[in-house]
Amino acid sequence: MSKTALITGASKGIGLETAHRLAASDLDITTVILMARQSDDFDANYAALEAEVGDGVTLVRSIVDVGDRDALIVAIGELYEAHGTIHYLVNNAGYTNPVPIHQVDFADFERTMAVNVYAPFTLVQELLHLGNRFDVIVNIASTAGINGRSGWLTYSASKAAVINMSEVMRDELKIYGTRVVCLSPGRTATALRRVLAPEEDPSTIMQPQHVAQVIETMLGPTGQYVDQQNVIVRQ
Amino acid sequence: MISLILLNGGVGARARTAGPKQFVKINGVPIVVYSLKAADEVAEITEIVLNFPPGHRDTLEALVRDYAIQTPVKYADAGQTRQQSVALLLDQVTNDDVLLHESARPIVTADDFRTLINSDHANVGFMREISFTVAPVDPDTSRVTGSLERSRLRNVQLPQKFNLDDLRRGHEFASASGTHYTEDATMCADAGIDVFFVEGSEHNLKVTTPGDVNLATMLLRREGDENV
Repeated sequence: MSKTALITGASKGIGLETAHRLAASDLDITTVILMARQSDDFDANYAALEAEVGDGVTLVRSIVDVGDRDALIVAIGELYEAHGTIHYLVNNAGYTNPVPIHQVDFADFERTMAVNVYAPFTLVQELLHLGNRFDVIVNIASTAGINGRSGWLTYSASKAAVINMSEVMRDELKIYGTRVVCLSPGRTATALRRVLAPEEDPSTIMQPQHVAQVIETMLGPTGQYVDQQNVIVRQ
Repeated sequence: MISLILLNGGVGARARTAGPKQFVKINGVPIVVYSLKAADEVAEITEIVLNFPPGHRDTLEALVRDYAIQTPVKYADAGQTRQQSVALLLDQVTNDDVLLHESARPIVTADDFRTLINSDHANVGFMREISFTVAPVDPDTSRVTGSLERSRLRNVQLPQKFNLDDLRRGHEFASASGTHYTEDATMCADAGIDVFFVEGSEHNLKVTTPGDVNLATMLLRREGDENV
């Protein structure tokens, strides 16, 4: 049976690598929807992926800022109408602006929560309301959500919320046979990591494709044996 | 094509819950959702007729909407008794056969409904052997009045399946004879209608007390684990 996968934050980093892997996986995925904001990176990376995928896979581009809830709801409705059931959802889009508590701008905290917490919630809830039945949902949290870290208040708080939200989703969606996976990558060489740790040499830490490989495994049959709690991925 | 009658109008007197027991949550999910979701998976069920505790129609409609129940749902008022509630629900049915279930039994599966639909019998329900001895008594004098043969007794569970005309005849019989029944299989049998049973499950719990809520939560969590 042909399956559809939707990946947020798919313009680069872990999301883009996940799109690459799922487009070439043996999970019967025939449609891969890449969701991200408009950017030059998205244009270039999407074009490169299009050139790479085989005939059996349809790529779809959904240009939306997941932090804009109204726009996100519209996009979800359009995607569901055009492509039907989303079997695999990878909530990967993330945002951070790491500053100490004295410098946190509340609007920025709200933006962090909007992208990291409310967007995955909205995607899942809207699709459920539309009658969507998920096979697997993967929520990307972070090791920063397990232990708070000085200077990362907004990010740590948002990722802690993702971890606990995932536990509730896992329990509530069992009635549909949906698996809910929460992945907490440690240091990964992404654009977001460069914001968190600008001095770090990206070549010395985990690469996005490593996390993408774990995501693919979690979506597949092997994943059911390891998805009962927050899964930590680190080098 | 078959209709599901979902009894959902009780007021939770025995469960001693704050609100109507239909909105008791099992594992965080309103109990009625489990039956609606199971029925929604069965293609043969083309309509669901359910009743609601007085004043709670809006709550129920919101649940049906939020949980994206695709099967068309009709609503009926709850009667003064279970028997009267079933009669009111029957008036809304448009198919020739009905499944009868109650939302207080959340551990129902789509396959349970299919087992009944696929049965050759027109009137059939799940029943379970009883593991304890039942004595006939006179409650007024506390006197034991005889004995009952356990192997010839069954615990009546739901869901059940009935031919609509047969079930209506059963209710007419009950009204005419002035007899009050707490379920429909024995009512129809007393009316001379053939009713059969298939073996039920010990997990098919009817949630009536706060302890049952905990037990159902545990059972559903375990079943969920087994299913995924």
